[in-house]
Formats: sequence, C-alpha cells, structure tokens
Amino acid sequence: MRIGILSFAHLHAEGYVQNLRRISGVEVIGFSDTDPERGRRFSQAYGLRWFWTHEDLLAEHPDAVIVTSENARHRELVELAVRSGAHVLCEKPIATRTEDALAMKAAVEAAGVSFMTAFPMRFSPAVEAARAMVAEGALGRVLAVVGVNHSENPKRHRAWFAEKALAGGGATIDHTVHLADLYRWIFGVEVAEVTAEISNPFDPEVDVDTAGLLLLKLENGVPASIDASWSRPPSYPRWGHLKMEIVGEKGTLVLDAFAGHLHVWRRGQERAYEWLGFHPDPNQGMLEAFVDSVRNGTPPPVSWRDGYEALRVVLAAYRSAERHAPVAPGDL
Amino acid sequence: MRIGIVGVGTMGRVHAEAYRRIGAELVGAYDPNPEKLAEFVARFTVDPFRSYEELLLRVDLVDVTAPTFAHEELAVRALEAGKDVILEKPLALDAASGRRILEAARASGRRLFVAMVVRFFPQYRRAAELARSGQLGRVGVVRLKRVLFPPGPGWYRDPEKSGGMPVDLMIHDLDYVRWLLGDPARVFARRSPPVEGEVLEHVQAVLGYADGRMAIVEGGWAYPSGYFRTALDLAGDRGLAEWSSDQPPPLGTLFPKEEPAPEVGLPMAGLEEDPYELELRHALEALERGKPFDVTPEDALAALELALAVRDSARTGRVVEVA
Repeated sequence: MRIGILSFAHLHAEGYVQNLRRISGVEVIGFSDTDPERGRRFSQAYGLRWFWTHEDLLAEHPDAVIVTSENARHRELVELAVRSGAHVLCEKPIATRTEDALAMKAAVEAAGVSFMTAFPMRFSPAVEAARAMVAEGALGRVLAVVGVNHSENPKRHRAWFAEKALAGGGATIDHTVHLADLYRWIFGVEVAEVTAEISNPFDPEVDVDTAGLLLLKLENGVPASIDASWSRPPSYPRWGHLKMEIVGEKGTLVLDAFAGHLHVWRRGQERAYEWLGFHPDPNQGMLEAFVDSVRNGTPPPVSWRDGYEALRVVLAAYRSAERHAPVAPGDL
Repeated sequence: MRIGIVGVGTMGRVHAEAYRRIGAELVGAYDPNPEKLAEFVARFTVDPFRSYEELLLRVDLVDVTAPTFAHEELAVRALEAGKDVILEKPLALDAASGRRILEAARASGRRLFVAMVVRFFPQYRRAAELARSGQLGRVGVVRLKRVLFPPGPGWYRDPEKSGGMPVDLMIHDLDYVRWLLGDPARVFARRSPPVEGEVLEHVQAVLGYADGRMAIVEGGWAYPSGYFRTALDLAGDRGLAEWSSDQPPPLGTLFPKEEPAPEVGLPMAGLEEDPYELELRHALEALERGKPFDVTPEDALAALELALAVRDSARTGRVVEVA
C-alpha cells in the first residue's frame, strides 16, 4: 500500500513516518509541504521525497494519505485528497470549526473513501484494558472520572500550535479531544454538558489559552474532568502525560498511559533527565489499524463522527469559559 | 498552659498523642460518652471531667475535637468562659454558625485557632513556600487531590452533623488553595451520582479567578477500604511543584491489605514531622508569645464558605459566584 503525508506542519508527522516504515507492505511515497525550509529539513532527516505542492503528491495516486497540517487547514487538504480517491487519516482535532468538519464529511461521502480520526490513545494497551474492565463491570457503578492531559507548550517545536488562526485555540483545543474521545469510547455515551475555566496563565507572548480545566457531565450522569493545560515546563522529564482515574463503587482504576519509563540522565542536553518510555507506542497500533482498514475495505476503527463529537466538546468548553455556565456540546 | 480536650473520638486521640509528644500540659478531657472517656483518660493518664462546666473551670485552653455539629456551642461557651480555644476543622456547619463563633472570640478577647492541619503537612508547607516566595513564578493552575474510603458508621456520614464530604474533607484543600491564590471569583463542582444505601461520594470542583488563574480540587469518600490518596500539583509560569502520596515514603511497609480500616482515615506524614504535632506546637507557641496564627479565624470562615459553595454547586449544577 502506498501512503503519502500531506504536510509536516504537525509534530506527529515525524513519528508517523517511522511507524509506517515498520509496517510490512507499506510504502511511504513522500510528503508534501509548501514551506521550503520544512520540506528540505524533513526530506533530509527522513530520506523522504518532498513534494512542493499537495497536488503533486496526490498526482502519484497514493492509496491513502495522512493529513498532518495545521488544524485549520485539515479541511482544505482532506477535500483535495478525497477528490483524488485517497483514503484519509486525519490528525486531531479534525477541524477548528464545526462547519469545516461537516464539509469534510460531505466530501468524504461524495468520494466514497474512508476517513479515520487520529485518536492514538484508543490503541494504548492500558487504555484498552481499562475500557474492558469498565465494560465487564469490574469497578461496579462508576462514580467519577478524573482526567489529566498535561504537556509543555508545543510552540517551541511548532509555532502555529499557539496561533489562534491556525490552531483554533491553544492548550484546550490541543488536548481536550484525547480524553473527550476516550470518555465517549469507554462509556459509550456522549458528553451532555461542559463547564470550563480557560485562560493563559503561562505564556504572555501568545494570544491563545495555555490552561483549561473542564468538568464534563456524561450522558450516563458520570462527572468527568479534563485538565488540558500546557502546564509542564520545558525541563519536565517528558513532554507531559495522559492520566485517567475511574472511581467506581467497587474499586478505582488508576491509568497513567506513559508510566512505563526508564529514568535516563544525559550530559549536555536540554532534557538532562528524561523519562524514556518503553511500552508500545500507541501511534504504531493506530497506524496498523488504519492500514488494515484500508486494505480490507472495512470501516476505520475511529470515525469522522468520533472526531466531530470531540471537537464539539472543545467548542463547548470555550463557550462555557466565556459565559461561566455549562454548555451542551450537542447545541453546537 | 493547662489544656482540656472536649470530644475523645479520633481527632481527640490524635491531638492528645501530639500533646504528649511535645510535652504540653494536657490535664483532662470531657466526653458525654462515659465509656469512651474512661478509655481515653486511662490511655493518656489525664483527669476525666464530669461535665463541660468542670473542664472550663480547670483549664486555660480548650481543644474542641467534638463532632462538627457541636462546635458552635462548645467553642462559644469556652470563649465566654474566658478560655482560648483550639477548634478542629471545619469551623462550623454553616457560615452563620461560623460567624457566631468568630463574634464570640471578638467579644471575649480570647483567641481562636482553627486546626486546618494540611497547612502543617511538611510537603504542603514546602510547596506553599515555593509558590508564595515566587520561585514557581506566577502560579496559574493548581491541582489538589484528597480521596479516601467512606467513613464508618457514625456522625461523619450524616451531612446534618458533619456538613458532608465537601465541608468535612475538601475544606482542607480549599483552604490550601486560598492560602496560595486567595479567594476565587467563582466555583463550579460536579458530584458523583448517588449510590443507594452507600455514603460513596466523589466531587470535583473547579475554582476560577478573575485574573485567569484556576484550580481543581478533587475530594472523595469513594475508595475501597484502606486507601487514602492525596496529591498536589502547583504549576507556575517559571516552575512546577508536584507531590503525590503514591510516591514511596521514607519508610515503607508491606503488610496484608485485608486489615480492617479505621473509623476515619488520616493521611500519613513523614516520621520526624508529624503535622498534628507541628500544628499544635504552632498554636501553643502563638498563644504563649502573643503571635499571630498561621490560620486566622477569618481564613477558617472563608474556607467554610468556599466548601459550602462547592456543595451548593455540586447539588444545583450551576456556577456559584463567590467573590
């Protein structure tokens, strides 16, 4: 199967290339990027063919593409890709506005291709085990969920993450979708209401939020929080973390998806002390599942709808923070 | 300074042990339950008082470790009798009751120390020093956790008598947030769905400040027997402080976990620095030297009001404006 990467704007593109190269029968045909500096740099770094324009890459007729552009440009690239007949794996959040997400859905349906939202945490073995425990009732009735998705400010790696026009917001849109999706997936219900505090306490140089605290009410009545803050300093031993505690009547589950790590010290590096993970990379599982679904012509394991509902939770959070009142994602 | 304890339950015992370790002059105790009182005075070799009146005649300082619903009456009577008072948290069941206690202290000219012990836990104190001295920069997001197993049969389970979980338990961390960030502009809380026949309760409260700072406080009587977890995470624009009770302590033990849980869970501190000891030593020193308390009665009242706002928001599902 031949796969192309549309844009290297998103950090994750680098990891995806390496993930794809580990899957037998997959050929990465190259990547397109209109930024010449990025094009030259990543072409060299990964020995990849660089296409000046997305149209040039699509002219090679890849079976599938991965869209890893800035959030606000997903729609444009998805529309281009599906018109050429490529199946799509789209980076999260799928869009910055509901109208873009809806337009993407229409384009995908018209082209008759498949569309998968990149929610890698569903492919974390710890998350899968947690979901199974909930499903079999091991925790009894669920009382509450506490979620933490912290990281450093990603603008040091890619400036656009902290530019509202390209990212749609800051920490809250960057992080909320992961846990919002996991809550929907684990409990099989939608988010009924979101109440949020969102602000920028950490970086006066950017005009986006660097912190978001969300309290959700799921349709099953379970309260669930999300801390989506860019609150870890650059010297933190890891980019951040994804943690979830599910408090149940019979017992509590404590999940730290990246807990398995070595303590590593290196001389003369920025991150002198690092937590180096040794558990399976969830991105690997996600890309294998995407490749399988395209090969077998089966529906992708994470759908457009999953991406859309998670986006609506984000947009509800921003609206709630403006109004200081709960907002229903379904109203957006 | 002769000290008398009223209320010989869990907190009465904890305070008595701390007084013994610091060599304070605990002279006696009163409790309406004669068997519990007899057991207590035998254990600590102090005098049993036959009534609260007798206690008030015999001591200089009254330590009220009675259940919350009795705080106002006991504290006000002690203050009116001209005694200084150490009062276990929470201050009272409601804000009006709390204000009456503060007013009694003002009118009597005696001193009132409300035992907000979390401020005396070494890790909480150290983290607060880091934050308050500016070493973390401006602290923008605070995360605090305090979740344990539900209390056993008794008055804690009855919200009419204890104020319920937010007032009895979350008040510790709400007070700590106030210590770090001051009073929030608004509070929003969500509580777990009720489980019939159980006191299981879990609440998460988000506190918003007018200048964009924020905090999330998690509290719960929700874990299986024997588990008690606390954590703090103070994120500033120049630094970060994290601590969790999941971290190994200076001394660890591995014993079977099936032992019966105590009536009320208390967090463990280090070996050298018992927070109850530090708290009571601070109160006694401040009384003896006429120095201010680290926790003022006004702090205790504000923490209570915040806990009541959390309880209110959790019940109604609405954002409560507090400032």
